[in-house]
Amino acid sequence: MTEPSFEGAQKELEAIVERLERGDAGVDELTKLWERGEELYRICAAKLEAVHGRIEELARRDDAAD
Amino acid sequence: MKVEATEVEGRKVYSVRAFNQGVATWLARLPTLWVEGEVTELRRQQRWQSVFFTLKDPDDGACLSVQMPRGQFDALRLDLKDGERVHVYGRPELYEQRGELRLKALSIERFGLGAHLAALERLKQKLADEGLFQRKRPLPRFPQLIGLVTGNDAAAKRDVLTGIVQRFPPANVVVAETYVQGPRAPASIATAIGDLCRHGCDVIVLARGGGSFEDLLPFSDERVVRAVATCPVPIVSAVGHEQDTPLCDLAADVRASTPTAAARLVVPDIAELRAGVERARARLHRGAFTLAGRHRGRLDTARERLHRAPLLALERRRARLDNAYARLATLSPLATLERGYAIVHRGDEIARAEKVRSGDTISVRVADGTFGATVD
Repeated sequence: MTEPSFEGAQKELEAIVERLERGDAGVDELTKLWERGEELYRICAAKLEAVHGRIEELARRDDAAD
Repeated sequence: MKVEATEVEGRKVYSVRAFNQGVATWLARLPTLWVEGEVTELRRQQRWQSVFFTLKDPDDGACLSVQMPRGQFDALRLDLKDGERVHVYGRPELYEQRGELRLKALSIERFGLGAHLAALERLKQKLADEGLFQRKRPLPRFPQLIGLVTGNDAAAKRDVLTGIVQRFPPANVVVAETYVQGPRAPASIATAIGDLCRHGCDVIVLARGGGSFEDLLPFSDERVVRAVATCPVPIVSAVGHEQDTPLCDLAADVRASTPTAAARLVVPDIAELRAGVERARARLHRGAFTLAGRHRGRLDTARERLHRAPLLALERRRARLDNAYARLATLSPLATLERGYAIVHRGDEIARAEKVRSGDTISVRVADGTFGATVD
């Protein structure tokens, strides 16, 4: 399975959260959903971190160029 | 021309025809010149080759016959009336058939500013009716090649060039120097406009500093106005001072009050452009950070909810379980004992009082245990 896009991962994470909050997930599913949610969170957070770092790097480089 | 005389009784005699020819030849040596006077007895008819009128000296009434080819006269579009004062440019000649002296006119001009203004007004009306003053195109924001039509040593030229270079140093300008006053100006200006267009200019500035009314007349010449009005690229007119309105100003896409103002119109201000780009970059940076932060917040919220939700779900299920258990408990006999009832055994069930005798040993079960007892 290829890694989902940021938007895809974020959507799936939110769908999982909504499902959990609706309360119709089976007890056996709870840990699986939790684990999948955490995995999606890590994917999103890593992507955000990478983008944020790149923006800061660009800003520093452009400021340095002035 | 040799004029032949005949010898009659010792004197030289000329025929009338020979005499007139001789005078005509002599007159033809006189220069072409301007004569000023009032028009009277204007005679113009379609079937005549020429137009005739008498030029009268307004001071003492001296008269001079004037003749002009009808086609030339009509082309001037003067619409002359008797009594108007004019300048006639021509040369004297003799009408040989009648021996009459007359002025052969090459050109006629109305005399006086008011008349000039009236003529301009007529031309303006005519060109306006043709729709020549309606086209107002926007100027290119970043001109590739600017054409400048101006006099060869004009302050106007310097003003435009200085203005352009100060505002936008990388501008490309090609200058066409022309006559900017006098009779040769209109044709040379019109030609210059066409040349610059063919040269690839994408905007043209027509510039001339202030001058007298007559000096600026070429910029109201029909040829110039038409060249401006049909110019394939946008054209800025900066002719004369604020209060002058030569017709080329009306035909141009944009009118500038001065040559310096024209420079401001054709090129962007590089300092402003830089500031604009800087502002855009600052917004870009802010926007990127803001958006990244918003995504981050959304993600954190989702994670918090993710962490809370399973426990909440578990608690809900536990509550359901407790509820079911509680309902189960109410159905149990133990619950009855809790309320103070007791179950009495004697090895077997005692369901009837008659089955019990005095001295029987029985066991009594209450909520928290069992104790023995003897029946009275």
